[in-house]
Amino acid sequence: MLKRLAIAAAILGSLPAVALAHGPSRQKVTESVEINAPAAKVWAVVGNFQDMSWVPVVAKTEGKGGNKPATNEATNDGATRTLTLKDGGVINEMLDDYDAKEMTYAYEITKVDVKVLPVNDYSSHITVTADGDNKSTLEWKGAFYRGYMNNDPPANLNDEAAKKAVSDLYKSTLAAVKAKIEGGK
Amino acid sequence: MSCLLRSSAALAFLFLGALQSVAAAAEALTTNQPADNLSFVNLDTMKEVARIKIGGKPAGIALSPDKTKAYITSPDSRELVEVDAVSRAVTRRLVVGGGPVGVAAHPKLPEVYVADWYTHKIIVVDTNKFAVVGTIAVGKSPSGLAVTPDGRLLLSADRDSNTVSFVDIASRKRIATVSVGNHPFGITIDDAGSRAYTANVKSNDVTVIDIAGRRVVGRVPTGRRPYAVGLADGRGFSTDQYGETVTAFDLKTLAPIKVIRACDHPEGIEADTARRNIYVACWGDDVLLRIDPVALKVTGKTAVGDGPRAFGKFLR
Repeated sequence: MLKRLAIAAAILGSLPAVALAHGPSRQKVTESVEINAPAAKVWAVVGNFQDMSWVPVVAKTEGKGGNKPATNEATNDGATRTLTLKDGGVINEMLDDYDAKEMTYAYEITKVDVKVLPVNDYSSHITVTADGDNKSTLEWKGAFYRGYMNNDPPANLNDEAAKKAVSDLYKSTLAAVKAKIEGGK
Repeated sequence: MSCLLRSSAALAFLFLGALQSVAAAAEALTTNQPADNLSFVNLDTMKEVARIKIGGKPAGIALSPDKTKAYITSPDSRELVEVDAVSRAVTRRLVVGGGPVGVAAHPKLPEVYVADWYTHKIIVVDTNKFAVVGTIAVGKSPSGLAVTPDGRLLLSADRDSNTVSFVDIASRKRIATVSVGNHPFGITIDDAGSRAYTANVKSNDVTVIDIAGRRVVGRVPTGRRPYAVGLADGRGFSTDQYGETVTAFDLKTLAPIKVIRACDHPEGIEADTARRNIYVACWGDDVLLRIDPVALKVTGKTAVGDGPRAFGKFLR
């Protein structure tokens, strides 16, 4: 009985992610932090797609393909990574664009349970900009739909919940990166 | 004789005057979804000249045949919103239900068609009464809509069926479907009414349809996640949301010509009536871009409200 319930829960839980129609209103979140360090130093911390250890909630990054972006979404021939979070959640991602000279890369989530991050069709940019020789700005920008793909979403899977989850992740991470780099740790 | 000359001179003067007033009114109207408003951009100066509140997270847009009215879909409030584009004010609102996304106006009849994402049908709105007067069943999650210039057919990009529905406007019935690429979103019909172009979000290509033959005549590879297609000077242009590019292709050979670096999430795209420029709404960067369709270069840019989508026909 318990087992059957668990299976039913698993099926129900996966429905929003499987549903093809998505809510028509795409959300965006942009957060940035000024860091008292040269841009190259910040890029050295955040610029490797295969190392997401600068995000405090990430426990492990496993991937392949280095920093080579996919030439086409369908062929999926570029770099991919699997993030395991400290709470056990798993996120699969692929690299869409990578420019070391401009110190920016773009990636998208290819698979995530809405219980881990309440979003769908998430794509994101990370950019480091120099503000003089010893100061720089780290920006994290995301585009995504809410966790529930149909009309009348439950509160935990609505637009506000999606924006809050992403914004909280960005803010806490950027603050941690700033502390780590400025603190010399 | 001198009288004739004078009257033809007067006619020419009137004609030029009319032309100038049209040119002076050239504007882009961008639906800024997260900002909940509509920007008016003067296309001669490439400057935003007004911004009005719409509400309900506006996305789709169509203009009346005389271009004095804009019809805007607000999916969050499930409304169709009518805007007087001359006085720049919301004039009427109508709850149409479901998830209104794409919208298209009839070239002659007082009718607009609204694609309902959730109930998989097209809602017909009489623009005189501003009331729903009919519904038409199509494929799953209809997105982009377009009407042929003769006003006989309505084409619907049915995103989750991977098809285009052909609707006979007189009988309000679907009469044919054509299979296209994966997840068609925007659909554009050429001025001659001979071909339609769908941007297929998941297969990263554009499907080209022969409207009279109701068949696919070709496919053009694009950048990642194409949203919509614009047409100008014998060329097609797709806005590639994830690719951050506009892919230009030849309408005869269907071969890509150039990939133009554009902006973060380029979305709505349309050529101006004189075909001198193409305009692109950039959802991620909150700007309207101007692209020269011959030189294939970005030639202008202006800030608009947060998150412009401009899904549909937005130039007047």
